[in-house]
Amino acid sequence: MEDKQINKGANLLYKAFKKSIVIIALLVIWLIIPKYVNNLFVPSLFDVLKTGAELAISGKLWINTITSLRIAFIGLIISTVIAVPLGVILGWFKTVEEYIDPTFQIIRNTSILAILPIFLLIFGVGDTSKYAIIIWATLPITLLNTVQGVKNADPVLIQSARSMGIGNFGLFTKVIIPSAMPFILAGFRLSASISLIVLVGAEMLGARYGLGFLIYNSMHAYMIPEMYVGILMLAIIGIALNAVLVRTENYLTRWQEKVVQS
Amino acid sequence: MAAKNNIEISIENLNLDYHIRRKKKEAGPTSLHALDDINLSVREGEFLSVVGPSGCGKSTLLYILAGLQKKTSGIVKVGDTEITGPSLHTGIIMQAYALFPWRTIKKNVEFGLEVKGLPKAERSKIADEYIELVGLKEFSDRYPYELSGGMKQRIAIARALAYDPDVLLMDEPFAAVDEQTRSLLHEELLRIWEKTNKTIVFVTHSIEEAIFLSDRVAVMTPSPGKIREIIDIDLDRPRDGSIKSSEEFSRYRRHVWQLLQTIGDSTVETFDEKGRFVLDAQPQEVAI
Repeated sequence: MEDKQINKGANLLYKAFKKSIVIIALLVIWLIIPKYVNNLFVPSLFDVLKTGAELAISGKLWINTITSLRIAFIGLIISTVIAVPLGVILGWFKTVEEYIDPTFQIIRNTSILAILPIFLLIFGVGDTSKYAIIIWATLPITLLNTVQGVKNADPVLIQSARSMGIGNFGLFTKVIIPSAMPFILAGFRLSASISLIVLVGAEMLGARYGLGFLIYNSMHAYMIPEMYVGILMLAIIGIALNAVLVRTENYLTRWQEKVVQS
Repeated sequence: MAAKNNIEISIENLNLDYHIRRKKKEAGPTSLHALDDINLSVREGEFLSVVGPSGCGKSTLLYILAGLQKKTSGIVKVGDTEITGPSLHTGIIMQAYALFPWRTIKKNVEFGLEVKGLPKAERSKIADEYIELVGLKEFSDRYPYELSGGMKQRIAIARALAYDPDVLLMDEPFAAVDEQTRSLLHEELLRIWEKTNKTIVFVTHSIEEAIFLSDRVAVMTPSPGKIREIIDIDLDRPRDGSIKSSEEFSRYRRHVWQLLQTIGDSTVETFDEKGRFVLDAQPQEVAI
């Protein structure tokens, strides 16, 4: 019994080791090498963390982080609230979808960064242009995924629900949307990471706050450690966000048979 | 079984023509006569099976009874209600189980009750009752993917029974499970039927299954689908598997087999030595 627990503990440790060893190695390299190789543009991890602590204490780090998170979050919510119901409708009325799909394909496949200036010119450097660009970039993704999910609803299940006398509203809330949920969630997760990417881009081109602004502004001011603090923060946010969304997704789609992955 | 005298289902002069979509200059008929002047009455509490070769319209007939398929002409009634669309008078059980994968077993069984608008406590009580009836109490909180085919079909039966329809319509419900599970399910179904006194219309392409389960077997012929003969099955109840090797049972089987063989087209070749159809019937295209 005790042996088993020790084994289990050892196993966990080994797993954690496998996952983190390369990252740790890279961080150590980042910590040591710049100390001996004098390089203005790649400061040591130690200097970056020190600057990070300073920025955290002064509040400069938080105001930029919170601004970015707030805008990304609100933009994403607006986009999702529009895209999901619209996607359900478009998925159900297939002819409408045929009209609209090419347009969304063009939007989705045109580099967002290319059209960023248009948004900045029209909406200015304030928050509005950021919301607009996030909605522009993420709405087609969530929408097309929702459409796909709705189209994928099993006709046998629809028929079965119909046979029990379900009305149209019930059919949508109890059958169509739950069965499209895995698609919607996958679209949402992709949208979430894209919203951060385009937001940072927009903040670099024109903003007063935000992590993109912090990074770009620091670069121009030759405050190189500051720049790295911004990048590091974005990396942490990205990883944390993905972890939370994957877990949420797994929970909400726990009814699906999962292939076990080690 | 005195209750078996009232008529539960009555089908009078039922016809169905399918519209065939054709290109403008393409020759050929624009409609297909799928069901031809079907007349059939099913008594309250009766177990009636419909057998026939693939494409004879037996499933379509069932979907018309369920209100899922429109008819061309004729009158179809369940009790005193004329069937014009889906209703809670009938419960249908499909070959593909049709359980909602995102709902637990219990929530699946509650589905019809939710549609009916029953309060939560009542739904839960009724669902428990029927899950118990089909013997899957310990699986209440599982999801459908965790169950075997036979278990899923038992849950589908529980779900249909839970909202208390007058008639159970079963569309080749056991075609997708293995032989051994199937005979268990047969006995299980008979037990449930005797306990609930439901009227059952059971569509199958297995002659043996039809005879074993039914009070009467309606034999259909294809294109257009017609009822050729309705045979009374006077085998004692309760029945168990041993009855299948009896002299009487073989006589019925031969009789049905001969009816199907003399249909007089290529479908003859689709029987195997046990009189079962080799070709699987395709589920009908149904308007939703």
